[in-house]
Amino acid sequence: MKIKDDKYTGLFKFIAYAVIILTSLACLFPFLLIISASFTDNASIIRDGYHFIPKKFSLEGYNLVLKAPDPVLKAYGVTMTTTVVGTILGLFFITMAGYVLQRKDFKYRNFFSFVIYFTTLFGGGLVPWYMLLTKYLDLVDTYTVLIFPGLMTPFLIILMKNFIRSAVPDEVSESAKIDGANDFKIYYSIVLQLSMPGIATVGLFLALAYWNDWFLSSLFINDPKLYQLQFYLYNIINTIAFITQMGAGSGVSLGGDIPTETTKMAMSLIVTGPILLLYPFVQRYFVKGLTIGAVKG
Amino acid sequence: MNTRSKATAVLLSSFILASALSACSSNNNNGESASPSPSESSASPSASAPASESASASPSESPAGIDTSKHVTLQFYMLGGEPKDLSVIEKKINEMAEAELNATVKFNFTTWTNWDQKYKLLLSSGQDVDLIFTADWTQYQSYAKSGAFLPLEDLLPKAAPKLQEFVPQDMWDAVKIDGHIYTVPATYKEYVNNGFVYREDLRKKYNLPVPKDIASFEEYLDGIKKNEPGIQPLSMNADVKGNMMDVFREVNDDTVGGPLPYGIGIKYNSPNDVYSYWGSEEQINDLKVIQRWQEKGFFAKNVLNVQDTLQDPITTGKAAAILGDNPTRYNDTKMKMQSTHPDWELGYTPFAETRGFATPVHPIHNGFAVPKSSKNAERALAFYEKMVTDKRYNQLTQYGIEGTHYTVEDGYYKMVGDATSNGFPREGMQGWAWRNPEFMLFDKSYDGVKAIFDQLDKVAKPDLFTGFAEDYSSYQAERAALEQVEKQYFYPLYAGLVKNVEEGVQTAMDKAKKAGLEKVQEAYKTQWLAYTSEKGIQ
Repeated sequence: MKIKDDKYTGLFKFIAYAVIILTSLACLFPFLLIISASFTDNASIIRDGYHFIPKKFSLEGYNLVLKAPDPVLKAYGVTMTTTVVGTILGLFFITMAGYVLQRKDFKYRNFFSFVIYFTTLFGGGLVPWYMLLTKYLDLVDTYTVLIFPGLMTPFLIILMKNFIRSAVPDEVSESAKIDGANDFKIYYSIVLQLSMPGIATVGLFLALAYWNDWFLSSLFINDPKLYQLQFYLYNIINTIAFITQMGAGSGVSLGGDIPTETTKMAMSLIVTGPILLLYPFVQRYFVKGLTIGAVKG
Repeated sequence: MNTRSKATAVLLSSFILASALSACSSNNNNGESASPSPSESSASPSASAPASESASASPSESPAGIDTSKHVTLQFYMLGGEPKDLSVIEKKINEMAEAELNATVKFNFTTWTNWDQKYKLLLSSGQDVDLIFTADWTQYQSYAKSGAFLPLEDLLPKAAPKLQEFVPQDMWDAVKIDGHIYTVPATYKEYVNNGFVYREDLRKKYNLPVPKDIASFEEYLDGIKKNEPGIQPLSMNADVKGNMMDVFREVNDDTVGGPLPYGIGIKYNSPNDVYSYWGSEEQINDLKVIQRWQEKGFFAKNVLNVQDTLQDPITTGKAAAILGDNPTRYNDTKMKMQSTHPDWELGYTPFAETRGFATPVHPIHNGFAVPKSSKNAERALAFYEKMVTDKRYNQLTQYGIEGTHYTVEDGYYKMVGDATSNGFPREGMQGWAWRNPEFMLFDKSYDGVKAIFDQLDKVAKPDLFTGFAEDYSSYQAERAALEQVEKQYFYPLYAGLVKNVEEGVQTAMDKAKKAGLEKVQEAYKTQWLAYTSEKGIQ
């Protein structure tokens, strides 16, 4: 037997589809504008503004960014390395921490949770942090400095802890213990297996943070070979802006004709491309992980 | 939470508080006693080793009266990005420095991203930095006041006597902050005074007047509006304070120099007369002119949303004039415009023609300082002396290697390749501070700028303003509040968007007064007058 749709269902569907289509178009249009602008002649952008179909087609923006592909590729390499290594190491440390902190038989778990949580409220500030990394740990111009500071974030540890607590009931680990599993065995063959959605969530958070990071490069990296992608591109834009704005004020005369607008747009596309492709695949875990972690926290 | 963790919390927080406080105070002990004036240089000036001998000179034969027995590596910090071939240049410099000063140098660059924060961290973290770029726009005055740099007057005669002689005494005096020299100023004289920039071909075509002051500039814009409906007469963007108001005041109100904050007015010809420009008759008249321009459609209604540079619309032919730009940038704009539109012409009238004088940049504008944390201050100065006064060091770090990066033709600098392919473009290390007029090479296109500079040289008067170091610690809160008020209430006036100017100014003044305008202006006035009396400015 089939339940007949009443007339309101049809109306609802109509409205729902209309709203969703309009919203997605509204989200899509700016992006299309970027794509179109990145293929437009720079002078034409300044004269006529942005258009969905380039008034005067040109590849000068991409040309400038990709002219000497070496630094771009190198920056891609650095970002890939830090993202992969950072995410894997970070996941390992964060799941370990989360696992230990939720074990009821760990006597000082509240104290350690507190210490971790405390740093989110009271940080040392930028200058002490900078001094620690440059003077005492001496990490300037290393891969370590790009990875190390982002490895463990209190927020992600707490998220992981709550996630494991809800995904792996105490009884499970207890029974495993009775069956002769030691703590590490419980960790990798039970806890890790059961908390995959949580791991995916935290992993995506970490990967996004590493992929989007430019701040660490800006503070600790002097060697252009170690620039992260975002910093490399951001830096090109800033240099252009500086040359046009302030540079001449200080008597610099480069005389080079740099297509500012198109370069910006071409850059945005080059940077957002890969993450845009990655996102849909991990997104479903992302939502699931977030809600599970949050509701039962 | 149990009691134990509460106790730990208290302990921890007090520890963190203590460490934060100690970090703040570590910068405070800069009490340096008065020192002999640098003119009494007693050390014997050293003869610089000729280039051929330099390779054989042993490290022990130190050129100046300093101890060079121990090898050191100097950390040299510049703003901006590094040129591609930096490592080649660094190697060559190090070969020479190794032999002559027993030192090697590492050139570091902050890039233009986030440079102001990085600059702050370099100076406040006690990191190993031996030489760092200073300028008025990097807040040299306030860093010097807070003790971030070493006073140089005692070190100079010993470590860099030649440099001390090379820089004229009045420049040493001009960069003094609280009686101490904290930076080595650049000696190259340049002008960043503004002037009207306009399309000369259109002016001729429609027989319009040459812009010389606000009135003739308006006539010119009127003519463009009438005859060229497709062109926006005036190029303007969202920074209406910097690009409209400050420039307008510079040409029309005889301001003392750099843009004055908090609506303060000081005239160049009566520098001891500090008044409130905000709310004055003068301001209302200025704003009425701008409002009229807006009504006539000289610039866009949505000007506060325009993010273009001022120059781009000129080079592409979208706009016809800029209210004010400096000679170097004008020349750049002209070159850029003529590369795509050779039949267009760009004219320039320095404000000096109206004002009767021009002020060369203040010595503070470009300089190099030795930070407090430097362990090799003497060697750093000796090295910097080489950078400025030794032709080999100077030209290598300014222009690169002759033949590889540039060639000299008829005395003009000529780049090899173009800006993107060249590994070391002209002044690729942002070496504005160690320019030496004797060794400088110019591109042929720079002749236009030089011509303007020569013209301005005839009417040059000193910059009274830039030596002033404002200390806003006592009114920091009001200062932030005023900034907010200016953005919200004065910017629309600057953009000519408020119909009734008197009323608009009245509202803005009410808000500004509530935000503490009077207190700030009073404090600024006191500091300014102290400065003018100290420097003997009448």
